[in-house]
Amino acid sequence: MKENLRQRVTRRVVNAAGGGIVDDLLTRIEQLEDEVQENRNLNLKLAELIDVVQELLVPVASQDRERIEAAVAKFERSL
Amino acid sequence: MTSVDGVHADDRGVWFHASADDVVDVRFDGRRVWSFWLLRDSEQHGAERLAAWPAPLRRFLDGRTRLSVVAHVSGVTLYDAEVALGTAEDRIAVVNDEGRPLGLDKSNRLSQTFDTRSPEQVAPLLDAISGVLAALDEAGTQAFLAYGTLLGAVRGGALIGHDSDADLGYLSPHTHPVDVIRESFALQRRVAELGFDTYRYSGFAFRVDVAEADGSKRGLDVFGGFIADPVGDKPAMLYLMGEIGAPFRREWVYPLTTATLEGRTFPVPADPERLLVATYGPGWRVPDPAYHFETARPTVRRLNGWFRGIRVLRSEWERKHSRTRRTLPQRTGTPLTALVVEREGVPSQVVDLGAGRGRDALWFARNGAHVTALDFVPSASTAAQEAARDEDLDLTVRELNLLSLRSWLAEGTRLAHTPGPRTVVARHLVDALTAPARDNAWRLCDMALRDGGRLYLEFRTGAPAPRAEGDLLAPVAVETVTAELAAHGAVIVHREDTHETRASGGEPGRPVSRLVAEWRR
Repeated sequence: MKENLRQRVTRRVVNAAGGGIVDDLLTRIEQLEDEVQENRNLNLKLAELIDVVQELLVPVASQDRERIEAAVAKFERSL
Repeated sequence: MTSVDGVHADDRGVWFHASADDVVDVRFDGRRVWSFWLLRDSEQHGAERLAAWPAPLRRFLDGRTRLSVVAHVSGVTLYDAEVALGTAEDRIAVVNDEGRPLGLDKSNRLSQTFDTRSPEQVAPLLDAISGVLAALDEAGTQAFLAYGTLLGAVRGGALIGHDSDADLGYLSPHTHPVDVIRESFALQRRVAELGFDTYRYSGFAFRVDVAEADGSKRGLDVFGGFIADPVGDKPAMLYLMGEIGAPFRREWVYPLTTATLEGRTFPVPADPERLLVATYGPGWRVPDPAYHFETARPTVRRLNGWFRGIRVLRSEWERKHSRTRRTLPQRTGTPLTALVVEREGVPSQVVDLGAGRGRDALWFARNGAHVTALDFVPSASTAAQEAARDEDLDLTVRELNLLSLRSWLAEGTRLAHTPGPRTVVARHLVDALTAPARDNAWRLCDMALRDGGRLYLEFRTGAPAPRAEGDLLAPVAVETVTAELAAHGAVIVHREDTHETRASGGEPGRPVSRLVAEWRR
């Protein structure tokens, strides 16, 4: 996040007085934000996985090549 | 009242003095081509402010025009003079290849904005809105006008002149991101089954392409929305792709009511003004052709985290290939095709992964192979596809998105069910992809090579360097690639570290590596 001069000076003063606590907390916030996003990213993956299983598993399980081809072609048309 | 004077224009842009911000239109020979905010979109240069010509407009600025600067809301003309830009004497014409007038929309993208189109030209779009609404309705989703289209309908019953697309939204009955994404996938399938071409932007938004009477294609964006379960005592939040996150209630949307747009009746939320406040803020009633969304960071992070990430670099590749897709690639093979032939002869089945313009794919097809060319942007190989048709070659081109599990898993299923060994070639795929996409590429290769065969790679190596607009490839260390392949069960059977061969000869080009890998089962 962008800091103005005053914020930067305040941060440095408080950080020095607190033995580096501000820098530590900022680092932890950044790491936590990354972890939150990693978890959020699972939503799309899970939804994609459920969709592909739902749309393709049944035709693939049939072992019928023509049926599989048709199901995959239909599925791919709307990706 | 706008406090602006000293307006003049030259090759760098529009110069002026201004003490307060206001949005103004720049017109060429009476037609709006650009709008900007006097202070927000300009820089101080000495005693004056300069609003530099936006990059997309610059290539047109060679000639003469009657240039006027007009305050958008009050209509007051601030400047109006004959201006000569560049060296040409012709009238400046901001038009596309077909001669149709273009203007910059709020994102400074050149497009056929509605103020350049006649009622007859707009009618097919209105038909399309009705058609897509009906399709969504048939699929069980009651959609409504959203974003600029809702704004235009509520504010004046008309499409906004400086807008260029139509937006629809709907509110999912679900409250969890996974469920709303699945619903969006199902909706897109239904719309595709009704015969529309569609294009997915993210897990929660897609576009429906509609052909208009004059042959131009116009996209209709369908944005998903949902109300997330409230956390603790916080209010329930509406999230509507791609900009909105605001405290909201379902009854402000459903049951829908109607509004008039260009003389036709369309569904809008029960309380459209509340959605407009959530979209554009309390100032939504005042027109702003240069409006910039200032979406709150938590909303951006949520929408990014939940729904986005399946089209990284896609627009850049589409733009790059749009310039060359009608040009046939070189007829000769490449060092990678030579390596394949040296080791295997011409294989019976070839998969060109990341085929791009289709040079390798076409070369293999011309030499008798059954070729499947897969790419993020299948239109990149338009010329190669036409050549293959003309020459009756066995070349099939399909879209593959290695960032979408549905896409690579479906393609992997298809390839795994087609028997026989095959050769997978991928020239400049490794260096085009991000690491997560490479991971999926190796999974796909594992599936494609179930019946045997090998993977041939060529990619730029060396110290990491950022991608640039003109060069979307980023070098990858060979060790990174060999480690990734090993982790996916592949064995490297050949490696050569060399340099690109320059057509002009002389100094060797950038460092490249070629790898051959196989899966031993």
